[in-house]
Amino acid sequence: MSRAAHGGRGPAIRLAGLRKVYTTRGRPPVVAVDGLDLTVERGEIFGLLGPNGAGKTTTVEICEGLLDATEGVVEVLGMDWGGDAEQIRARIGVSLQDTRLFEKQTVAELCALFAGLYEPSRSVEELIALVQLEEKADTRYAHLSGGQRQRLAVATALAGRPELLFLDEPTTGLDPQSRRSLWDVIRAYRDEDGGTVVLTTHYMEEAAQLCDRVMVVDHGRSIALGSPAELIAGLGAAHVVEARAPGLAARVDGGVLEGIEGILERHANGDRLHLSVTAPHVVLPGILRAFERAGVELEALTTRHTSLEDVFVHLTGRQLRDGGES
Amino acid sequence: MRPRVLRAVTRTVLLEHLRTPEAVFWTYGFPLVMALVLGFAFGEGKAEPSRVAVVDDAPAALIAAIDEHSEDRVTAQTMTAMEARRALTLGLVDLVVSGEPARPVFDLDPMRTGSELARLQVERALLRAGGAVDPGAGSLIRPVDEPGDRYIDFLIAGLIGMNLLGAGMYGIGYNVVMMRSNKLLRRLAVTPMRRGEFLAAFLMSRTLLALPPPLAILAFGIFAFGVPVHGSWLALLGLILLGTLTFAGLGLLVASRARTSESVSGWINLVTMPMWLLGGIFFSNERFPDLVQPLVRAMPMTQFTDGMRGIMLGSFDPGQIATSAVGLAVVGLLSFAAALRLFRWN
Ligand SMILES: Nc1ncnc2c1ncn2[C@@H]1O[C@H](COP(=O)(O)OP(=O)(O)OP(=O)(O)O)[C@@H](O)[C@H]1O
Ligand SMILES: [Mg+2]
Repeated sequence: MSRAAHGGRGPAIRLAGLRKVYTTRGRPPVVAVDGLDLTVERGEIFGLLGPNGAGKTTTVEICEGLLDATEGVVEVLGMDWGGDAEQIRARIGVSLQDTRLFEKQTVAELCALFAGLYEPSRSVEELIALVQLEEKADTRYAHLSGGQRQRLAVATALAGRPELLFLDEPTTGLDPQSRRSLWDVIRAYRDEDGGTVVLTTHYMEEAAQLCDRVMVVDHGRSIALGSPAELIAGLGAAHVVEARAPGLAARVDGGVLEGIEGILERHANGDRLHLSVTAPHVVLPGILRAFERAGVELEALTTRHTSLEDVFVHLTGRQLRDGGES
Repeated sequence: MRPRVLRAVTRTVLLEHLRTPEAVFWTYGFPLVMALVLGFAFGEGKAEPSRVAVVDDAPAALIAAIDEHSEDRVTAQTMTAMEARRALTLGLVDLVVSGEPARPVFDLDPMRTGSELARLQVERALLRAGGAVDPGAGSLIRPVDEPGDRYIDFLIAGLIGMNLLGAGMYGIGYNVVMMRSNKLLRRLAVTPMRRGEFLAAFLMSRTLLALPPPLAILAFGIFAFGVPVHGSWLALLGLILLGTLTFAGLGLLVASRARTSESVSGWINLVTMPMWLLGGIFFSNERFPDLVQPLVRAMPMTQFTDGMRGIMLGSFDPGQIATSAVGLAVVGLLSFAAALRLFRWN
């Protein structure tokens, strides 16, 4: 029976009016988090989603007590960093965005180190099995691959049977199979131990598959909050049509697509066109005819279901990751 | 302090060090090589004139003879018999001359080739000056190889002090800052480990690692050169332990805030340089000008080397040794307390 099941009262995390301004001497101040309100309920897998520099790490590290907030309320497991720091630390598990561990210790020794810092704690064997590093148990940290280090970082975060787990980009750099198996670890932690997870990610697919709710962050502000399905449904369009042709944006702005029914939204940029539509089979014939009439030479045309990525594009007019894969 | 946490961290830090072969060499091998080189080869192979002390109650003729007839191969200074003997021990002069021109008396360290050379040069000068002496028959050679009077006897305490200072500054100071700059400390900061536990565990593991080298240097001095320990062994070992902790505390202090290896190197130099120069490691610091004496006396290195020599060479009374020990303990405790306050994980 884990402690997580009978932790204290209240939500896992409550942030209100959170602001963080970095001041470096001789540089203009950087507003990394700009008035964030957020409540993460117990038992949730919550995702923070956003482009580089959106303020995800800053937000998470404030919750972990590593950074001080410039302004705002921060409550973790119903407690306050000001007065209950040690209590909070005993009940959270953390994997930072870029941690290095002791280079000359083996996987098993590092698990033992972290297990030694918590009471109660998981056994070394259990930790290693959780992230499937059995084969590497006696390998030194310096000789692990990037993905293996990530998995070990998650194992060390679980060492103290935390009630609340923070994972900052836990799957960045993992191969698809390792990523999926880490999702399983995270789900099992929530389902079996009743824990709460706050993770950050750049992968839409990950957020959609793994998270109960996500917050899309941009420039330190929340621009959308809800379950992945809600956010996508909120766009009102179930599908996306993407097309590519030389100078396409200019042609479209010139009115090539005027008068075609069923296009809810369009973004055009250079050679690329991005349309949100309710039903592709209804809209496509009209679009193709319009292109043909205007002499547009299509290089590519694809349709797909709307994703969280499109939510981001809809809200900001930008791609979440420029030219990124998956 | 929870033993479970202390154990986990201490073990990790110990293993981390022992698995770094080059670090092991620099802490264990290097001081021994240094003792060997300095002990055997001190004063060897130099082209400078030999430095000779002439005892000040010797007849003026003796001094004049050396000054005028040594063809600049010898520089002579007059000093009291006590000063001369001390200068010989410290390696400031190669030879002490007393007696009369016809029957000179030489005090020298036969371990040093420079001493023998100086004796020959002085004898030649006397021969040329007097013409009539038969230095072979007339001179008296008194080797000062009784343990306790040689430079190596003086040096061992300094080498141990230097080693402990290095262990504190690099073994602790530098290492902690490296852990901070590669963000390892941040990871530890989000665990329930307390600052004091981390610092204590680091201190403990590093003290365990720092203790064997001084003992090795000491044993080496004793077995290779017959360096004496006139005073209490218990006091000697106690002082070494105290010195280890004190310099470890200083190491934690220099590491408490620095973020980069460059900045901690600066702090390390700031602490290390004055101690090397003024702490009585390689030569006695009693003769430094009065102006710097307060600084010299305040230095934990001075306390340590004084105390060590007091015990080993038997030249101090217990009160003075106790004063040294208290001085060291105060510096150590203040450093640890300050480090505890100033320390940051980030
Ligand atoms: N120590 C710092 N000093 C000054 N500015 C900082 C500091 N740390 C972060 N920033 C700035 O704050 C903003 C938010 O950074 P943060 O690391 O929170 O973003 P992120 O969402 O985690 O990005 P990524 O996806 O790249 O990890 C960025 O503009 C960054 O440049
Ligand atoms: Mg980040």
